[in-house]
Amino acid sequence: MKLKIVGSPTERIEGPEKVGGQTLYTADIKLPSIIWGKCLRSPFSHARIVRVNTEKAKKVKGVLAVLTGADLPPFRVGLSLQDIPIVAQGKVRFVGEKVAAVAAEDLNAAEEALSLIEVDYEDLPAVFDPKKAMEPGASLVHEELPSYKGFHRPAEMIPNVFAIQNWTAGDLSSGFKEADLVLEHTFHTQLAHQAYLEPHAAVVAVDGSDRIQVWASCKAPFRLKEQLAKQLSLPKDHIRVHIVAVGGDFGGKGSLMDIPICYHLAKAAERPVKMVMTYAEELTAGDPRHPSVVRLKSGVKKDGTLVAREAEVIFNSGAYAAFKPGEIPNLGGATHATGVYRILNYAIRSYGVYTNTVPCGYYRAPGQPQVVFAVESHTDLIAKELGMDPLDLRLRNLLRDGDKLPGGRGVEKVRCRETLEAAAKKAGWKKPKAGKNIGRGIGVSFRHVGGSGEANAEISVAPDGKVTILTAVPDTGTGTHTLLQQIAAEVLTIPPSDIRAEIGDTETFETDAAPGGSKITSMSGQAVLEAAQEMRERMKTTAASLLGCNASDIKLEKGRFMTARGAKRALAFAEVARQASKENGDLRVRKIFQFKSRSPVAAFVAQIAEVEVDRETGFLTVRRIVTSHDVGTVINPLTHQGQIEGGVIQGLGYATMEEVVTESGKVVTANLGDYRIPCIQDLPPLQTVLVEDPAGPGPFAAKQIGENGIIATAAAIANALGDAIGVRISDLPLTAEKIYFALKSSRSAA
Amino acid sequence: MQPFEYRTPKNLKEVQQELKQFGADAKLVAGGTALIIMMKQRLVRPTCLISLSSVRGLAGIAEKNGALRIGGSTTHREVETSSLVRRRLPLLAETYRHVATIRVRNMATVGGGLAHADPNQDPPPTLIALGASVKASSAGGSRMIPVEEFFTDYYETVLKPDEVITEVSVPRLPPNSAGAFLKFLPRTADDYATVSAAAVVTLDRSKKIFSDVRIALGSVGTTPIRAREAEAVLRGQPVKAEALRAAAEKAKQAVDPISDFRGSAAYKREMAGVFVRRALEKALEGFKRVKSAPSRQSKRRGRR
Ligand SMILES: Cc1cc2nc3c(=O)[nH]c(=O)nc-3n(C[C@H](O)[C@H](O)[C@H](O)COP(=O)(O)OP(=O)(O)OC[C@H]3O[C@@H](n4cnc5c(N)ncnc54)[C@H](O)[C@@H]3O)c2cc1C
Repeated sequence: MKLKIVGSPTERIEGPEKVGGQTLYTADIKLPSIIWGKCLRSPFSHARIVRVNTEKAKKVKGVLAVLTGADLPPFRVGLSLQDIPIVAQGKVRFVGEKVAAVAAEDLNAAEEALSLIEVDYEDLPAVFDPKKAMEPGASLVHEELPSYKGFHRPAEMIPNVFAIQNWTAGDLSSGFKEADLVLEHTFHTQLAHQAYLEPHAAVVAVDGSDRIQVWASCKAPFRLKEQLAKQLSLPKDHIRVHIVAVGGDFGGKGSLMDIPICYHLAKAAERPVKMVMTYAEELTAGDPRHPSVVRLKSGVKKDGTLVAREAEVIFNSGAYAAFKPGEIPNLGGATHATGVYRILNYAIRSYGVYTNTVPCGYYRAPGQPQVVFAVESHTDLIAKELGMDPLDLRLRNLLRDGDKLPGGRGVEKVRCRETLEAAAKKAGWKKPKAGKNIGRGIGVSFRHVGGSGEANAEISVAPDGKVTILTAVPDTGTGTHTLLQQIAAEVLTIPPSDIRAEIGDTETFETDAAPGGSKITSMSGQAVLEAAQEMRERMKTTAASLLGCNASDIKLEKGRFMTARGAKRALAFAEVARQASKENGDLRVRKIFQFKSRSPVAAFVAQIAEVEVDRETGFLTVRRIVTSHDVGTVINPLTHQGQIEGGVIQGLGYATMEEVVTESGKVVTANLGDYRIPCIQDLPPLQTVLVEDPAGPGPFAAKQIGENGIIATAAAIANALGDAIGVRISDLPLTAEKIYFALKSSRSAA
Repeated sequence: MQPFEYRTPKNLKEVQQELKQFGADAKLVAGGTALIIMMKQRLVRPTCLISLSSVRGLAGIAEKNGALRIGGSTTHREVETSSLVRRRLPLLAETYRHVATIRVRNMATVGGGLAHADPNQDPPPTLIALGASVKASSAGGSRMIPVEEFFTDYYETVLKPDEVITEVSVPRLPPNSAGAFLKFLPRTADDYATVSAAAVVTLDRSKKIFSDVRIALGSVGTTPIRAREAEAVLRGQPVKAEALRAAAEKAKQAVDPISDFRGSAAYKREMAGVFVRRALEKALEGFKRVKSAPSRQSKRRGRR
């Protein structure tokens, strides 16, 4: 099948509105008599709340409600483990935790009131380091953990550990016995923020009969509705979540965040309430990427064959686990501790650990950049010890068709070798480097298309032939709606401009999928594909009766229904639409795509970075990055490349500069001047290689791309640095200062 | 941000009247790039803003008796792009170009920048190395303050509450002089300096001996710092690599940095030495080239 619209670079349908400032984000929502909500946040990492006095705050002109933990029901909320109170009750567990909330006519009054709330705290011993938090006798962040809803008792009870996961295969000890060499290394990664443009925001309106309307920078409106109902004990059919554009998600916009307190303020004040976090609040109390400690021990034969791996992955969750979905609220990235390698004997153990720091959440490929940085750095260290080329060591150990991944999922149509070789070729891996202090490094990894639940779409055709896709998927900035439009246009063979997307809300469908885990193009795309196909068949029937032939003899091409045989006769799409609507009324098809099982076909990514180091300062210049991707059918080359570039840039920032710095648990990089992300001048030339194989599980055999850009970048840069200066930095980010002092100590050691 | 009055005086006299009327509750506002952020963070809470943007005669660049006179309300971007500045003191144009982004430079003013007095700013080290002075005017008249003596602490200067910066005056360089400014940006190109260094070098006729040297650094103390002992090491000495290294060592002793997200105190101290030496080297390169406009390359994060 030759594709016409799918596969062609198509501009975003929402682009002009966004650039023109018409797109509505949560902060833009205006309602009659809307007021502002703001939270008072804890200055303590761990403290008992002894007394809260709100008298003065209540007297501030314009203040309509002041709420503290004592005024609220004892509900705890969470995407899986329900451990976070609406505002702190009894004690605070991190600097930045909500201790009180105010609703007022304007922001100034709200802030004034906050400054007048008096709270007496009694300091408690706090834990910040996850390994210390796990030691016997460590002070507990949550004494009542076992009583929380959603808690699954781990195999072992360790202080502050709420989740333990194990994945094993083969026989580890005989694997290590087989090995000629055993190497062990430990890596650390930092706390990092998604740095989306739009901070978390919410608007909640409650009417006299307790009907609740929500607008929020939340990518998962249906899950939000479900959880608000269940966790705040509200009637589900009273809740309506409107769908607004989300100003960047990167995984961080899936939780309830301020919505529960916003609801309570709206109810107490009897006015709609808007809450918009400042960026200082985002950085101190958002849901950033988990820091990690990853210990890897590998057994390898002289010829480079990996025979055993033991991995311990500790994710520092911060004060709560509420921002992680999944039955076990930990990060899937730990399963990547065996990398893209075939290791027959392994044991991976992953811990989710509480500390008195900002609670962490999901961020583009949760847990994976952490673990891939460790695994790929470890791979290079093994190669160095063996005196092997790191590329050759990798090629020797790659996964093969039919292999099983940790967790039991099989992999098929493995394109790792092709992807890696294409990267090596493009980067000139074996070619001499342009000078001293220049190095090259590889990072390899993969993702699967995600999926869960169901996705909905409705396609309707108006009598004038114009098509509407009704969807309830929010736009998180990835161009989803444009892709849905392209998919429908491909099937219906009409110009994409004749198709528009209408965004529903939680009344539109029973439930729906939400972006995350690289699944939405696949799931909603499939629903749209099926709906469009059914619409095409329906319209063929009408066309057949108008043309006096069988529907099976009709084909749809270039927007015309034509007879496939005999005398060539044709009807325009709009003509058939007009007739069909006249005969049958509404031309409308609804489809539900049920996600059944995860495909074993993964999409690999291989990146090669080339860096140069200024030995006198430690300054690291990334000279270029090659990013090679194993792709299926590319539905929209523009948005596809956008995902790759955005991912690589985030990966570069993660590798070289980004870090939410904490001191005794307190975030001190509390603004975007102190927390730096890359700007355009920091970007190296990027060369993209697409290794195509239309065998993906998505619509038109597409694979996913959303998370592949970011997962291996830090690894590639760290390895390039190691190659350039012969010194290994095992904790991210790779700052000039760390490089400088590492060089200095390696010189004095020599 | 709390509500405030907004005044738009048309001349300096009116500015003085407003300052008198509102006293300590008032703040001058020029580009607003620093002040508004501090107001939003509630670090300052003026109830009245007196805008300098309509005040006549406060902006513009002219040459008088060989010195460059830059009006207090002149924007960073104007200094950066002025053909007069580029011709007379390319170092100054280049230094202002290192500040933030074009959006900020289009708004930020020379006077506002100095009065802001954040020791991480770029222009002060260069202005000190060039021997520039600030003209501060009040109802009682005006005085000239050397930039070197202008800063007293973080966000603190010798300016009195009723004084307005009306001008910055940069003297003409003696013959056989050249200068350089380097800004070290190890995190991202859009950042404050981890360390910055400015050096202005004057050689004797033979061009083999340092007859004068002025060195100043940013981001390494509570104010910009002049490295006088480093200068002294060079004065009267032949132009040689060892001399530059000795000066760099002295500069390391002159600084008193704090640890922050741009680097630890120990690292900044080390880098102060590296960048003073590199600034001197770059200034000396200026003698090999004849006239030069700021090149596109020079914003490359001070690596060379
Ligand atoms: C995003 C960003 C990035 C930045 N990055 C850099 C950087 O890389 N390097 C750097 O050097 N700087 C940087 N800055 C700081 C910038 O240089 C200052 O914000 C700017 O110079 C202030 O000038 P302004 O005219 O906007 O001052 P305003 O904000 O208007 O005023 C600042 C202060 O000066 C006072 N004031 C203003 N004019 C006068 C006057 N004529 N006389 C007396 N007092 C006066 C005001 O009352 C106020 O206290 C950055 C700023 C921002 C916002």
